[in-house]
Amino acid sequence: MPMARTRTTFDPFNAIAEPKRRALIEALAGRELSVNEIAQRMGWNQPMVSKHLGVLKQVGLVTDRKEGRYRVYKVNAVQLKLIQEWVIQFEQYWTNSLDHLEEYLNAIQSDEVKDEQ
Amino acid sequence: MSSDNKLEVEPSIITRELNAPRQLVFDAWTQVEHLQNWMFPQKGFTCEYVSADITPGGSSLHKLTAPGGHQMWLLTKYEAVNPPVSLVFRQYMSNEAGDILPNPQMPDWPKEMRATIELEALGDKTRLRLIWQPIAPTQAEAAAFEASRSQHGNGWGAGLDQLTRYLETL
Repeated sequence: MPMARTRTTFDPFNAIAEPKRRALIEALAGRELSVNEIAQRMGWNQPMVSKHLGVLKQVGLVTDRKEGRYRVYKVNAVQLKLIQEWVIQFEQYWTNSLDHLEEYLNAIQSDEVKDEQ
Repeated sequence: MSSDNKLEVEPSIITRELNAPRQLVFDAWTQVEHLQNWMFPQKGFTCEYVSADITPGGSSLHKLTAPGGHQMWLLTKYEAVNPPVSLVFRQYMSNEAGDILPNPQMPDWPKEMRATIELEALGDKTRLRLIWQPIAPTQAEAAAFEASRSQHGNGWGAGLDQLTRYLETL
């Protein structure tokens, strides 16, 4: 079904920049849920769940299938993994790497002190 | 929408005070035997440099291996190496041959990013500033960078911990 072009570019990165959608992805990690079940778990109303699911589906982060009378949703792990790589490359990458630099510098310097003793 | 306009994008800056003399911090950024011990984004990853020519115009290639075995390759091109005060480089996702990978999943993410490391001696401590900025971004790239900035410090790190653990089980 053709989808109306919105003014916002929804690339996956923008889609998951919204905290509610990240929460939604986490709720769906490793399990399939219907809109109803998600609404109950998150304490959100159904239109809100549907709106965010729609965005995630549009960028391929969530897939759905019909099960009986319901539609169930799950995370598209392949797509998510690609995003994770980009996130890792960016902010988290440097923040965490600098943590490791700090720990490493502390460790080798305390080794040097031991060596001198 | 004009892409000819020169876009000014505020860089992202991370500042750290390190308990080590400046020369040692500089060595940690420029010597493979040091780099392999800390240049990884998450605990449990291993880092291996397969090549390293850390000189102006030179490049290095390193491999990150996640605990689940997933591998990523990163190519770094060095623009300036000024011991012991600064280092300027660009880093790219690549394959194991060092070919920069196109990014079909993230069409608007800036294609070129420059990192500048500035080291200031504070007695036997060092203040490090990491400045991270897109180079000549298009309007869409600048917007994507800005969109990610609003999440700095809160969302990405904490929010993705659980996801990361989940991804490692796949």
